[in-house]
Amino acid sequence: MNKRFINFLLTMLFVVLVGAWIYTSVRDEFLKQSRTAQRRTVETVAAGYPEPEDVDEWLKRLADEATEYKVALVSEIPMPGEKLNETPKGDSDLAKLTESSATDPEFSKGFDNAAYEEIYRASKNWTVGTKEEQAIFFAPAVSLKTHDIEGALVFAFNTDGEQGFMRMINTLFFGAFILFAVVIWQLMMSRDPIVGFALAGLFLMTLVFVAYPLFEALRLSFIENGKFSLSIWKTILNSEGYMSALWGSLKLGCWTATFSTLVGFLFAFVVARTNAPCKKLISTMGVLPVISPPFSLTLSIILLFGNNGLITRWLRVVGLNFSIYGLPGLVIVQTMGMFPIAFLTLSGVLQAIDSTYEEASLNLSASRFKTFSSITLPLAIPGLLSAWLLVFTTSLADFANPLLLAGDLRVLSLESYIEVTGMNRLGHGAALSILLLLPTLTAFLAQRFWVAKRSYVTVTGKPSGRITELTTPLVRRILTGIIFTIVFILILLYGTIFAGCFVKNWGIDYTFSLENITEAITRSKDALFDTVTLAAIATPIAGITAMIAALLIVRRKFHGKRLLEMLLMTPFALPGTLVGISYILAFNHAPIILVGTAAIIIINYVIRELPVGIEGGIASLRQIDPSIEEAATDLGADQATVFKTVVLPLVRPAFLSSLSYTFVRSMTAVSAVIFLISARWYHLTVLIYNFSENLRFGLASVLSTVLIIIVFGAFGIMRLLVRENANLTKSVN
Amino acid sequence: MANNKSKSVTFEKITKIFRDPQSKQDVTAVNEVSFRLEPGELVTLLGPSGCGKSTILRMLSGFEQPTSGKIFIGDNDVTFTPPNKRDTAMVFQSYGLFPHMDVFNNVAYGLRLRKVPENEIAEKVQRFLEMVGLGTMGKRPPSRLSGGQQQRVALARSLIVEPSVLLLDEPLSNLDALLREQMRVEIRRLQKSLGITAMYVTHDRVEAMSLSDRIIVMKSGNIIQVGTPSDIYRDPVDTFVSGFVGKVAFFPCEVKGIENNSCVVDIKGKIFTAPRYSDKLKVGDKALVMARPESLSIGEAGSGVEDGVVTANIYLGNSVETWVKTDLGNVLVQIDNPDVKKIWDEGEKVSLSFDPTLTKVLVDDLEKV
Repeated sequence: MNKRFINFLLTMLFVVLVGAWIYTSVRDEFLKQSRTAQRRTVETVAAGYPEPEDVDEWLKRLADEATEYKVALVSEIPMPGEKLNETPKGDSDLAKLTESSATDPEFSKGFDNAAYEEIYRASKNWTVGTKEEQAIFFAPAVSLKTHDIEGALVFAFNTDGEQGFMRMINTLFFGAFILFAVVIWQLMMSRDPIVGFALAGLFLMTLVFVAYPLFEALRLSFIENGKFSLSIWKTILNSEGYMSALWGSLKLGCWTATFSTLVGFLFAFVVARTNAPCKKLISTMGVLPVISPPFSLTLSIILLFGNNGLITRWLRVVGLNFSIYGLPGLVIVQTMGMFPIAFLTLSGVLQAIDSTYEEASLNLSASRFKTFSSITLPLAIPGLLSAWLLVFTTSLADFANPLLLAGDLRVLSLESYIEVTGMNRLGHGAALSILLLLPTLTAFLAQRFWVAKRSYVTVTGKPSGRITELTTPLVRRILTGIIFTIVFILILLYGTIFAGCFVKNWGIDYTFSLENITEAITRSKDALFDTVTLAAIATPIAGITAMIAALLIVRRKFHGKRLLEMLLMTPFALPGTLVGISYILAFNHAPIILVGTAAIIIINYVIRELPVGIEGGIASLRQIDPSIEEAATDLGADQATVFKTVVLPLVRPAFLSSLSYTFVRSMTAVSAVIFLISARWYHLTVLIYNFSENLRFGLASVLSTVLIIIVFGAFGIMRLLVRENANLTKSVN
Repeated sequence: MANNKSKSVTFEKITKIFRDPQSKQDVTAVNEVSFRLEPGELVTLLGPSGCGKSTILRMLSGFEQPTSGKIFIGDNDVTFTPPNKRDTAMVFQSYGLFPHMDVFNNVAYGLRLRKVPENEIAEKVQRFLEMVGLGTMGKRPPSRLSGGQQQRVALARSLIVEPSVLLLDEPLSNLDALLREQMRVEIRRLQKSLGITAMYVTHDRVEAMSLSDRIIVMKSGNIIQVGTPSDIYRDPVDTFVSGFVGKVAFFPCEVKGIENNSCVVDIKGKIFTAPRYSDKLKVGDKALVMARPESLSIGEAGSGVEDGVVTANIYLGNSVETWVKTDLGNVLVQIDNPDVKKIWDEGEKVSLSFDPTLTKVLVDDLEKV
């Protein structure tokens, strides 16, 4: 062990020495080049020193024409240690510096050299006026006619380029050194370097793309005019507008969470605990909205109930006047869109509650209602709470629906978007989205550490075969009646979007037309291509990374595992607006500039969708006997081969669902991506938003339909692929 | 009959210290263990769970690294060699078959990694499948095989790569009793016919006895005794080993004399001479006489060294196991050929005696256990 450590140190010493040698020679060579060029400029300019009567004009011309340097003329070279007799001519800043530093040893040396007709470069840089780090040259001003020295020319060269280059090679060498150290450390100290590289990669990725942007966002919210200040937070916390936005977000979240939990529980109860008909349809419709693209439900609500909506017009005829924009409309749309989250959570919980409990209760002659209220409901309460919290956080983070429907209601996610894009106040935007994080984080932590611990059932349990009927036929009919109404409304909403594609001008002219389709396709071709390309690139990266991360977390012991897990999972709890804002804050300046590139969008997709993939991978890996992988290793497979030939095939279902999840979420992203798109890389959802804003509902409908088709298609393919290997999943379990 | 590929295995002062993630304390799983396996030998690591036997196996296969010490396979120091670079093959307790591959591809996996030509693979896999009696099962997925068949696949998969050392980690613990006996014979036959060095881990003494050339008995990270099965059974070093490898009764005694390689003891005034004794014993020590069930016999109350009451008779066909309740605890007596011997009824007062030539005198360390 010690011998290897010494070997490592020796290798690193060698690397440092070679690196330092290369570094200094590169740097010196560059500086030599740049200084030779400057010296040559000085020579050329000084050689052009004119007759005394033309000096003023010459200096003026130089000041106008020369961009990289400034010139001042000292007409009488002072003796060493003496002050100037008169103020130098030429550039006023440089003249001032020359006058005040005339007795400086460097200046004296410069004047001395000039007196001997030599060009001299000051050995240090000076600040000229407001410009720092200027290289100062001294040259003789020689009369062409008399060859007499008529004074000294002082040159100040801009060294920005030099400084920039130095910074660049510093960063480059430092980065290369760190990379080298990590690689060598892994190769020399660890038995399976591949695992080490994977870990180093994951840590680097999360630190750079999760921790760093968040830190930047937090930092910027405490900075005003380049200095630490609490003023942004003071403004925000004292502003009635912002506080009403916080209040609006909370109100919206509470209502939506409550309604969604109710509807979700209704669906889950009917599917998991009764013998109602058409359960398959109910559960399909109960999941559909969660994968449907953003804006689609909002769009159809606007088409029907908006100011010019189909139904609004009818109601107006009857004399009813109302506006869908605002809290009630938003609650309706969010509930429609988010109750599937509650449904999925609760059907897992209800299925895991063993029917035996209910049978025992009925057997002890409790009535059906009594059994429901004293057994089923209490057992489901932790599930209800976590469903509520989950919807609450989703509603708070929701950005797309308020964007179109908020009306007068102010919500935080929207407010931070307006701050950033409308007012260009990045600090305020960051602070607001951090403010939005607080309730989200509280809910998330409450779910994780409080509700989850109180849960009586594990959601992973297999559904029990039998169902104890807890409802009388009448109750069941009422419940299914409500459910079918909701399902009908959902179908109606999707139908409206579809209808919107074929109508000339919704709200005004309802004649059949295909114009919208052709126009939408021509106008959205590039955005559609971009959207699909970006999602298609992000998908495999996120899928593979998620499986590798899950494998390392489940199977490996290493230092900082908790930290890595936390960093990987954090983006799940972050509102998209916060991610978007922190990305533009962090990656629009050195050392990493990514704003405007495709990379920033792809990285954002990968980082945000990783947590779900990792959770899935972890769950499925926990069910796989570690000795299967060990057997492969034992037979001679290295880590990469084990991953390729054993792990990946075994976690195939989790891998595929992580792939399709990432793809779908990337195709339908809005909240973060709206900050990150550029003229070059556009996103379809933003285009839908733009069309809706401009009341081009026909175009928006067409694009929404296209997105819906793509998304459902992706899910369909995924399900087919997973089913293909159903035998495998069973045998693994 | 070691073949030329099989190699010796040497452990040199191997220590493994784990860090308990909960209590953050170091736990010594294996404590300065040294031993050597000769080429072609099958050695069993026997001990209760948590004694470090699996850790030793995992260190030999490379899945764990020793905290200190050295491991050699043949003359090669493999202490820091990763598992995939070691010439060992392991048969796992839970088999570890690849569920997404059929039997053929499971067995072929190791050969593919070694870039063996595909036609050779086909021929060799078939040969090994036939060797383990699964010649027609190549196309089946592992999930459609019985436990015993899965075990054979795992065995074939390990043997086909012709490892220098075969490692078996409680391979039979998931099988029912009858299959276990069959597989025991099977494993021994294959190991002997291939002349392969093998290390076998188990906590089942019958398995250890019936399979091994030598047994290493372990307890809390230390090797307690190394020897052939009969050594261990007849000549255990202490009460732990004697109790772990078989049923046993201990009779308190006093050492009266040690002479001519035998030990004279006094049990309640009766003098016996035992041919085997612990060399730590001195004249005058309080000690224990260890007697196996088959060396015990039952007589009229008062006739033997310890009186008691018969509590149960278990008829096993070729023998009867009689449980006798005494002041020393419940003692098992094995009566062979029960049809020609007297069987005492439950509740009868009896007395136990033993054949001193089959016993061993041990240091009385029962308190410490």
